[in-house]
Amino acid sequence: MADLKITGLHKRYGPVHAVRGIDLEIPTGEFTVLVGPSGCGKSTLLRTIAGLEQADAGSIEIGGRIVNYVRPRDRDIAMVFQNYALYPYMNVYDNIAFGLRARKTPAGEIDQRVRRAADMLGIAGLLDRLPRQLSGGQRQRVAIGRAIVRNARLFLFDEPLSNLDAQLRDEMRSEIKRLHREIATTMIYVTHDQIEAMTLADRIVLLKDGHIEQAGAPLDLFERPATRFVAGFLGSPQMNFIPGELTESDGLPRARLGDGALLPLPAERRSRYTAAQGRPVTVGIRPEHMARAPAGAAADGHARLDVTVELIQPTGSRTYITVALGGKPVTAEVEPHDVQKPGEAIVIDIDMNRAVIIDPETDRVL
Amino acid sequence: MTGMAQTPRMVDAGSLVPLPGHAPDRHFKYAVVAPAVFILLLIGLFPLIYSLIKSFQHITMLEEDTSFAGLANYIELFRDARLWQSLLHTAIITAIALPLELVFGLLMAQLFLERLPGRQIFVSLLVLPTVIAPIVAGATWRLMFDNRYGPINQIIGWIAGHPVPALWTVSPHLVYPAIIVCEIWQWTPFMFLILLAALSNVDKSLTEAAEIDGAGYWRTFFKIVLPAIWPVMAIAILIRGLDLVRIFDIIWALTQGGPGTMTETISIYTYVQGFNQFETSYTAAIAFLVVVLLTVIVLWALKRMGLAK
Amino acid sequence: MTTAAPLLRRPGVVLGIRYAAAIALTLFFDFPIYWLFIISFKTPDEIFHYPPVWYPKSIQFANYGVLFKDGDANTVLNSLVLAGVSTVLAMLLGTICAYGLVRFKTGGENLAVWIISQRMMPPIAIVFPIFLLYVWFGWVDTYQGLILLYTAFNLPYVIWMMRGYIEDIPIELEESALVDGCTRWQVLWRVVFPMARSGLFATSVFTFVFAWNDFLFALVLTRTEVITYTVQVTHYFGGQSNFWAKIAAMSVLGTVPVFFTVATLQRYLVRGISMGAVKG
Repeated sequence: MADLKITGLHKRYGPVHAVRGIDLEIPTGEFTVLVGPSGCGKSTLLRTIAGLEQADAGSIEIGGRIVNYVRPRDRDIAMVFQNYALYPYMNVYDNIAFGLRARKTPAGEIDQRVRRAADMLGIAGLLDRLPRQLSGGQRQRVAIGRAIVRNARLFLFDEPLSNLDAQLRDEMRSEIKRLHREIATTMIYVTHDQIEAMTLADRIVLLKDGHIEQAGAPLDLFERPATRFVAGFLGSPQMNFIPGELTESDGLPRARLGDGALLPLPAERRSRYTAAQGRPVTVGIRPEHMARAPAGAAADGHARLDVTVELIQPTGSRTYITVALGGKPVTAEVEPHDVQKPGEAIVIDIDMNRAVIIDPETDRVL
Repeated sequence: MTGMAQTPRMVDAGSLVPLPGHAPDRHFKYAVVAPAVFILLLIGLFPLIYSLIKSFQHITMLEEDTSFAGLANYIELFRDARLWQSLLHTAIITAIALPLELVFGLLMAQLFLERLPGRQIFVSLLVLPTVIAPIVAGATWRLMFDNRYGPINQIIGWIAGHPVPALWTVSPHLVYPAIIVCEIWQWTPFMFLILLAALSNVDKSLTEAAEIDGAGYWRTFFKIVLPAIWPVMAIAILIRGLDLVRIFDIIWALTQGGPGTMTETISIYTYVQGFNQFETSYTAAIAFLVVVLLTVIVLWALKRMGLAK
Repeated sequence: MTTAAPLLRRPGVVLGIRYAAAIALTLFFDFPIYWLFIISFKTPDEIFHYPPVWYPKSIQFANYGVLFKDGDANTVLNSLVLAGVSTVLAMLLGTICAYGLVRFKTGGENLAVWIISQRMMPPIAIVFPIFLLYVWFGWVDTYQGLILLYTAFNLPYVIWMMRGYIEDIPIELEESALVDGCTRWQVLWRVVFPMARSGLFATSVFTFVFAWNDFLFALVLTRTEVITYTVQVTHYFGGQSNFWAKIAAMSVLGTVPVFFTVATLQRYLVRGISMGAVKG
């Protein structure tokens, strides 16, 4: 039985239609990430699941029970907020115990559960400190501890790492992933950061303008995006989008770029492209699917092009170069020492097996 | 769920139909507000309506005539010279005391604006008159102004060289100054405190920029500082002005409206009519008039000060 | 040849002038209070003495003794009960009402404006109708009558002030409590009230002082049972001669508590009396 099932959910704030008809089903134990640009409705969706907002239409079922009109406290959920929401006038122990006390849990049981949660998160030594005496990472752990201690069916995370600095964020990300492995509770996690989404999720739900753009396993979305938006949202640096035209030659589908370059497309996709033959399309190629051509012939499905290096941006482990492809500036990822200086002429190898073709009118991937 | 994108179902925003049922705690927001509103209605609205009804009747000390008297009482209001005089007295006191409190308060605030060691102690001491009961303030000055044993006359006597029998609470020439001095004494610190805080909150960079630009002290004050503290000042003026119109305690302690009816303000007059003369219906009419008058004044002041709430 | 700086520019001079002015002002504003206090400690000879006795030979508590013996000092207790109970009521009902206004916008603009307008009500206008009403209820000269009145009169102020303090509370704290296991009422007691502690404290003091210092309502609505110290003071006024000592002693009894409470609340003084206009 699914732990969470949403059907036809709508939420409006005055003229703004924040959530437009969302259907979602999340099986037990899965880690689902709701991700998308700001304003896409992910936080609204989460808050509606939590009961902090009332849906205008549609139903929310938790554990098979319709909870639209059930109080947040009775929905069997726990939530971790972006700003930790720790009570400044209570110490760590009392903060974690807060929910249990509100439900009149016996003191002995409270103590047991609080200490177990604190141990799990490595904050057992901080139990009598006040929030203002804790670091950002520690506060976040306390907030998580407060959620764990209630043994809820559903865990909701509202951008919990946004307030932490980069290094701490990496650390906490691993913590959360480890936590999920340990307690195996269904978790719904909201973020705008696609790296968090990719690394944490069992399943990503990518939202745009209040509806689900695509949902699936992270690699599914990454390798087989359904729309241009999905293709561009995941992956850093962003996928390159080059205008071109679909054509055929020798019975094989090809993409012709603005400057005449002809790129091969996988033969097995031929049937997908027949309808769009001769029409303008957008070719999507990820920077990491390009490389400085090694010695030897091009592999099957790979294209070789002569380009001039316009810009070089080394990051240490990888170097990003800007070249012109089809008349447009395109980012390619190469080994650190593959290029020396701008203006250099090199041969680029593109793995066209991984490329996507997008219909510019519908923005859907063909 | 497959990896396919969903086609968003475009729904006419006006046709959203929620599940049957009720949001939890939908009564909460009324329950929290209800007790306060109930009390306010009971004490604020209900008596007004009751007294409005009474004002259309004929109830006095002598007779309990509850027949409808039409606008008789209200017409009486317009013909009542004593009423209009009391309004005049109120206006005089307000018009004199309010600006004085404002100006003195500003001057005092300016004095303490810059760093001054021990400022906190001074401020604490200066605030004392404002926190005592107005009736006690009045009583204090009643003793201060006493003809023979009050320090005021003693000090004047010293300066003049011979005893000065100034009857502050009785003599027609002295009663108004006496009242106004007491009033200013008690409430200038109020203005001072508020203006000091407001002036302290003014962004230093504004005045510094003006100084560099070459503006003199007064120009800076009127063109830059004053507009910056105006919102706060306006509220202070409103609060103080309203309190002045309602002034009662101080006058009661000093002159009780005398000599005769010389210092009778609208509050005192209403009290006299209601509790000395027992002109119930007439007093009800006066009370109503006062409410209307004050509402008009407050609305006018709010509009004028741009504080439309 | 050195030119001396102009007199006003020399640093010490301005400071000196300011201090002189500060002291003069303090004298002006505090002397009458000193005078009042001093009278309460003087003997009748010292009070009615010409030239005036600026400070008495010794502190006499005889005047206070008289007040206590006559039972007049009980009026301070009456004031305490009236101001205390009405303050608690006003703070309680006013704060939860403010919560509704802030978080749920109950009644919208209109309700908020109406509530504030009640603060503008002139006491004299409503004291008379209230009097009639109370006569009808039989509440004249009763504790509950005045308590209800003071509560009602303080509610708008409390609501207005607490609105500001509640707005300062991060809403996530309340939302987290809701998810964790609190009902709406529990959120009020366990989160909102503790978070607004300092605001509650400050506002309650001003509310208390306002009721404590009231005269007009007490004058109209008390007779013999529930006399407050403010009314009692006026009982010592005389046409020909005042009971100086009693006036002074009674006033002091009623004033010292106020000085004390206000002294402990220095920080909130400005925000409180300016109705939140300045966050002092």
